[in-house]
Amino acid sequence: MKREHDTTTAAPGRGGAAGPAEGSDVDLERPEAVLSVLEADQLVAAKEQAHFGRMRLSGGVRLLLSGLRLYVIAMMIIVLFQVLQAVHGGH
Amino acid sequence: MGGRAEDLRARGAPAGPAHAVGRGAGLPEGDGSREITHEDLDRARDRLAVERARRAGGARTSLVRRLWPLWLLVGPGILVFLGENDAPSMLSYAATGAQYGIGFFVPFILVTFLMAFVVQEMTVRLGAVTHRGHAELIFDRFGTFWGRFAMGDLVVGNFLTLVTEFIGIRAGLSFFGVPPVVAVGGSMLLVFGVILTHRYWTWERIALGLAVFNALFIPAALYAHPQWGALGHAFLTWSPFPQGGLLKPDVMLLLMSNIGATVTPWMLFFQQSAVVDKGLQPRDIRAGRTDTMIGTLLAAAFGIAALVATAPLLAHGIKTEDYQAAQFAQALRPWIGRAGATCFALGIFEAGLLAAMTISTSSAYAFGEVFHHPHSLNRPLWEGWSFYGILLASAFAAGALVLLPNAPLTYIVLIVNVIAVLAMPPALLFLVLLCNDREIMGAHASGRWASIAIVTVTILLILAGLGYGLVTVFPKILGGG
Repeated sequence: MKREHDTTTAAPGRGGAAGPAEGSDVDLERPEAVLSVLEADQLVAAKEQAHFGRMRLSGGVRLLLSGLRLYVIAMMIIVLFQVLQAVHGGH
Repeated sequence: MGGRAEDLRARGAPAGPAHAVGRGAGLPEGDGSREITHEDLDRARDRLAVERARRAGGARTSLVRRLWPLWLLVGPGILVFLGENDAPSMLSYAATGAQYGIGFFVPFILVTFLMAFVVQEMTVRLGAVTHRGHAELIFDRFGTFWGRFAMGDLVVGNFLTLVTEFIGIRAGLSFFGVPPVVAVGGSMLLVFGVILTHRYWTWERIALGLAVFNALFIPAALYAHPQWGALGHAFLTWSPFPQGGLLKPDVMLLLMSNIGATVTPWMLFFQQSAVVDKGLQPRDIRAGRTDTMIGTLLAAAFGIAALVATAPLLAHGIKTEDYQAAQFAQALRPWIGRAGATCFALGIFEAGLLAAMTISTSSAYAFGEVFHHPHSLNRPLWEGWSFYGILLASAFAAGALVLLPNAPLTYIVLIVNVIAVLAMPPALLFLVLLCNDREIMGAHASGRWASIAIVTVTILLILAGLGYGLVTVFPKILGGG
């Protein structure tokens, strides 16, 4: 795809991890230039290929997650109860 | 660069496609140019602008040049908070002002927004450090079982909220005699039109321009000629209290609605994904916090303004329990004039439209992250067809439902806020665990005081939900009702 880009290429040997060369324009059509402004894992390809692994959850955290999930379900039932009360009360 | 990848490798973390560490994984082998997508290029252009602005700014430059990097970096925080000042929220504040006037709820609204800041700041850190959206992180770190629960809460909450946004759009424009079909259909066209830019930056700036109109509640409040002494007294003393006390079921419902108006699950998913789409990095966290605090304070001010604007209705003994949005504007007209009522109605319309954009986008982000589809506003339509499809389908379905006649709008609005606050505790627990996860956050993991703040907020929300449930089922035992 033809892209608009800033004019000339970066000065040789510069514009790496330290950032784009100061005072010169950067050609973003070059992967090296893109990497000079983005972190490696910001690239779409890197994110597609790598994922964070599973967190080890303690028994207490699992219990808390389960408890909160049951809490939400219970509260939703109570809300539904109130809605039905209001609807029947309106009729 | 943070030490997440290095730490994990040092501990012998499993490698491979399913478990490889995100940061530091490097580009795949082969022709690097094929690995740079349109999305990467757009994000790199935005980052280049930030880097140049940082180098151009300095102690000896003009104020504009020094603030320019901040201007480039703000967006997600302001949008999430002004998006949360959506139609149901502003109507909740309006209902509060009309029923209880200037008093306890004025400082209460400010406190709820400060609670929300504590929560939202964490999403900035998570997005800037991990470069992953909230839904993706939950699925990666907690697995499919818990991820589906989180997504279920988001999908249900977002869709119900979207319905109420279009209710607000319809109601706000009905003040001007705009037919519902035109109001809802025109808004959907606007939502569609903005994404045609397929540039996150452009979408964000258009949304920010729209968000400015949330400030219309300020002139509406000024037209109400508020008693500034009463306002100051309310901030300092949290009084007068609502008649009947805080345990009265009506008051409890309103408290829950106001909390739900400031802290909702979609905000977590949207801001983190927007931070990622914008390309923020760890060194931008401070600017992200500033962006979030600006959004917090603006939204609090506009929310309180909506309350103040409707206080005259209480003063003149006007009952508003069953009011819908347009009725508030009509009812206010004798007391704040046509100009003030116009500001109020336009503010409701803006509140609904901005939220429709941000909430539908949060659903689309989450869908794309979970199903590993392209999910960026930097993608052209043909590359991000599923992302844009979800965004538009959710908005379209919600808007179509709003065109059904005789819906009990005000009650639906209040209940949606309650549902949002009830669904928040599990979402907050995921957030706390992720933010404290040193394996992915490294040095940016939550410190002790941040963890204490978020745990305190979580406990308060859970207690509020328990209280609401008890008062609903056993109002007489608690002495209310």
